[in-house]
Amino acid sequence: MSAVTDTKIPVAAPPSRPRIPESVSIRVASMVALLMLWQLASFAFSERYVPAPLPTFSALWQLAQSGELVKHFEVTMFRMLVSFAIAMLVGMAIGTVMGLHRRAEQALDLVVMVGLTIPGLCYIIVSFMWLGLNERAAILAIAWTTFPAIAINIWQGVKAIDQRLIDMARTFGASGWRRTTRVVIPQVLPYLMAAARFGLGIIWKVTVLVELLGRSDGIGYMLNYSFQMFNMVNVFAWTIFFTLVMLAIELGILKTIERRLFLWRPEIRA
Amino acid sequence: MVGIAVQGLTKVYQSRSHPGGVLAIDGVDLAVADHEFVCLLGPSGCGKSTILNVLSGLDRKYGGAVSVAGRMTSRANDHPYRVGYIFQEPRLLPWLSVRRNIEFALESDGIRRSEWRSRTDNWLKRVGLADFAEGHPHELSGGMQQRTSIARAFAVDPEILLMDEPFSGLDELTARAMRELLLEIWLETRKTVIFVTHNCFEACFLADRIVVLTPRPGKICKEVTVELQRPRNYDDSRLFEMSVSVTHYVTSKEGS
Repeated sequence: MSAVTDTKIPVAAPPSRPRIPESVSIRVASMVALLMLWQLASFAFSERYVPAPLPTFSALWQLAQSGELVKHFEVTMFRMLVSFAIAMLVGMAIGTVMGLHRRAEQALDLVVMVGLTIPGLCYIIVSFMWLGLNERAAILAIAWTTFPAIAINIWQGVKAIDQRLIDMARTFGASGWRRTTRVVIPQVLPYLMAAARFGLGIIWKVTVLVELLGRSDGIGYMLNYSFQMFNMVNVFAWTIFFTLVMLAIELGILKTIERRLFLWRPEIRA
Repeated sequence: MVGIAVQGLTKVYQSRSHPGGVLAIDGVDLAVADHEFVCLLGPSGCGKSTILNVLSGLDRKYGGAVSVAGRMTSRANDHPYRVGYIFQEPRLLPWLSVRRNIEFALESDGIRRSEWRSRTDNWLKRVGLADFAEGHPHELSGGMQQRTSIARAFAVDPEILLMDEPFSGLDELTARAMRELLLEIWLETRKTVIFVTHNCFEACFLADRIVVLTPRPGKICKEVTVELQRPRNYDDSRLFEMSVSVTHYVTSKEGS
């Protein structure tokens, strides 16, 4: 973005734009191409191995009609949201302490790195062995796998706080509360959003794994069930459904929040 | 009447390499009259900024006594008098519009909401940014951002104005225009100003009185009253001669 100048330079009128922006049409085209590739693959191999899009979506429709889809979707979403909330709270607390105190940082930075490195599968197995094959163990395993990535993002965000802006606010007499809410939190917000996004990215994957290993409901369980039945169409149907839900959350919720929060930023405005 | 009274100001910084602490300022006495424009001049490391931090209430661990308009700075009172601070960088909140940045200062200083609109409009107009009130800082050039920060400092109607090398981050042409703008506004408002700089010419152009400090520990070594009439002119040869002699005080090792 160039700086605004006082002089007025005559500018040619912008060319009339097509109604659909190019960025959208390219994305739509790439999705259509993906569908076509999928269809071609099912021609090339047997339907047994690669079910075509149409039978997959019709299987999805049948799952929806039978009520299975909603039932397992609700269970999976419940697990994800509860674990996400726990992981965010724990990650924010640890990340904030690490960002504010040098000793805490030195004590915890390797711990968090180790926590991030251990495969989610290990947390899942350990949780189930400790607490049994129950809901608490599932939520513990998911939250545990997720919080280190959140803590790291918050830690970086707290470290990046510009003390000079806080000092500015103090010289104008801003109270501690106002400095926190109006100067500190807005600075950390981008990191908080990044933490949420990283966290959700991990949570999708861990939750289905947890359901596969130790629960008897949820989308992960149904994927495993379809595998046992060697029902490839249903494996595809559940996968597609799960992917669509996650895309809806990512594009519909996260992107919208980000756009509203960071409207002032040059890169998003352009 | 004395606007600012600093008596025996001493500041020791704690440091790992020096367990006893580093003496940054050693017994500085400074009295600034109401409506006076004083420049603190000295090389880096002479504690100029520390004096401003004490006066603004940012730094409360110091020795000596400091009062402004009869009110003392202290640990008990966070903000005993109203300060307008112009920093070396504009220090604007990037997520707020220019108008909201100024309103943030007004709100923090407890100024009634009914006055925000007129104060902000007046001061933005005064610094030539009336058309940019709804823009964001990143849309402005460095000079325009600093003009916003000048408008913000004057808008709170401060009892003292503190400026910490506010033009040293700008190119010289912009800095010249900004100094002239500052003097114009100052002649209208006659606020008490303490202006920190290491630029001798700038000090002579702006100040009623120049206080020269020596480094490590910071001490006052010389005071120079600038007799030149206002408004001042950059091309005035007396200004140039004066800055040469002031430069001599700053660079001489002896100091006094």
